[in-house]
Amino acid sequence: MSRTVDINVKHVTRVEGHGNIVVRATDGVIEKNEWQVPEAPRYFEAMVVNRHYEDIQTIVSRICGICSVTHSLAAIKAVEDALDVQISQQTDKLRILTHYGEQIESHSLHVGYLVAPDLLGQKSVVPLATSHPEVVKTVIALHKVGNTMMEKLAGRKTHPVRLVPGGFAMLPKAADLRELKTMLEAIIPEAKKLGEVVRSLAGALPDFSRDTEYVALVDGESYPFYHGRIGSTDIDEPVPVHDFEQVANEYVVAQSTAKWARWNRDAYCVGALARFNVNGDYLLPLAQETAKMFGLERGCANPFMNNVAQVVEIVHVIERSLQIIDELLTTGIEYERPDVKAKAGNGAGAVEAPRGILFHRYEFDDKGICTRANICIPTNQNHANIQKDFEAFVPQIIDREQDEVRLLMEMLVRSYDPCISCSTHFLNVEFV
Amino acid sequence: MLAPTVVIGLGNPLMTDEGVGIAVVARLHQCADLPADVEVIDLGTGGLNVLHEIKGRSKVVFVDCAYMNASPATLRRFTPDEVQSAKLQTRLSLHEGDLLQTLELARQLDELPSEIVIYGIEPESVTFGDHLTDTLERRLDEYVETIRQEIR
Repeated sequence: MSRTVDINVKHVTRVEGHGNIVVRATDGVIEKNEWQVPEAPRYFEAMVVNRHYEDIQTIVSRICGICSVTHSLAAIKAVEDALDVQISQQTDKLRILTHYGEQIESHSLHVGYLVAPDLLGQKSVVPLATSHPEVVKTVIALHKVGNTMMEKLAGRKTHPVRLVPGGFAMLPKAADLRELKTMLEAIIPEAKKLGEVVRSLAGALPDFSRDTEYVALVDGESYPFYHGRIGSTDIDEPVPVHDFEQVANEYVVAQSTAKWARWNRDAYCVGALARFNVNGDYLLPLAQETAKMFGLERGCANPFMNNVAQVVEIVHVIERSLQIIDELLTTGIEYERPDVKAKAGNGAGAVEAPRGILFHRYEFDDKGICTRANICIPTNQNHANIQKDFEAFVPQIIDREQDEVRLLMEMLVRSYDPCISCSTHFLNVEFV
Repeated sequence: MLAPTVVIGLGNPLMTDEGVGIAVVARLHQCADLPADVEVIDLGTGGLNVLHEIKGRSKVVFVDCAYMNASPATLRRFTPDEVQSAKLQTRLSLHEGDLLQTLELARQLDELPSEIVIYGIEPESVTFGDHLTDTLERRLDEYVETIRQEIR
């Protein structure tokens, strides 16, 4: 009797289509092995055209509830590039701090809500709250710190309101920064606890590696999320952000409506593991120690280790946040007003979203009205890499039980922390 | 001091009627005569933030776009116990949110307020676009008034 594997994990949403895992095999011969994904951001690009430069970051912050600060900052940087706006060091530091809040929030939720249930043998975070309440409470505590950072600095927990071109619509007070400092110092043990939990389970992460190109922002002196040029493990000379289309060479494939991207190879990877592989030498001491605890070293090509890199990054951004807060408290928060004037121009911005590098580009007419927009999200840049992983990984596991193959493939997709169906959260209910 | 009652609008104003919860709380924010013990929050699509916003409250009122098998623009008041989710979830992405699941998590953590009310509004259209459909837009005042009565 022939043995067939037939996997079709459909991620159905009413609007944005699907993110499907499709595998078919007979007697170990793989007939179909695809990661199929929908397109979404293109439609949002159309919504900012004909809008004033002051409105862009507010609109794009609604693209996603998890990466809203990142989208706002990428847009603001692109606007400032187009309009030749210089910002103060204070603005720079406050933005980075706000952005760190989003990294803490997103990474802790991803590791805690999506990855931990896999490693602890639970179907979702809901039963985990009963079986491992301490893990869930740690995650929620970290999530809350990230949230509070965004609320104190950007004026709202989700979808920031104070981040504007030129600076901040309203500045935080020194007391807010002191409060954040106390909170961040208190959360370090929780971050360590999360690290311990993940370490105790890391043996359950599949041992699979595939060499690929890793792409992240680089500045040659730190582990950047907000500054720098576009670096890669395949090249020595980073590319200016203004030329990002040379990096994210988008192309169309039959199996997906979303465009895929390639640079120096047929696929590249962005996200926490990419940042670690490109910039790992610049991690702060506690984060270095965390990476060592997991045996995570630069050059790691196991995509499942992205989850571990996220834990390392949580520790790094907490450490760096405390340094920045001390710097700001030493200099004091100075009152300043954004000074921006409309002019014709074209600008690009790049920021590291929790799930990888995000690019925005806008063109404005002389009245500051947007005439063209291009948004290139990290998840789209990872699609080709996920497919290449499928092609290398599935032959290694195809002899296992179908349910195990499916779970391993879901875990692989999850490890990339993809942004799918992020724009809708409606209820869909049946009355009982 | 945390307000004992919170009204939380959920949804995305870039996805036509999916943003109705946000449109309702935006109007509530303009009302000068809301009770002092009520906080009104636009949570957008930050669904998991619900956990932090409901902790320590005694009453939570959600306003959200909801497929309920009703005619477009229907407003329906219900509690989490009266419904079950018909949403398909694969857990492939952190972005897949479901309010009912988040509330269940809060219940497991013993952080659920004693009173939870959901106002679901049946969409006419959920697609890319930064305006509500006329069908829902026409009923906005009525939705706002209903919520005002709920928190009076």
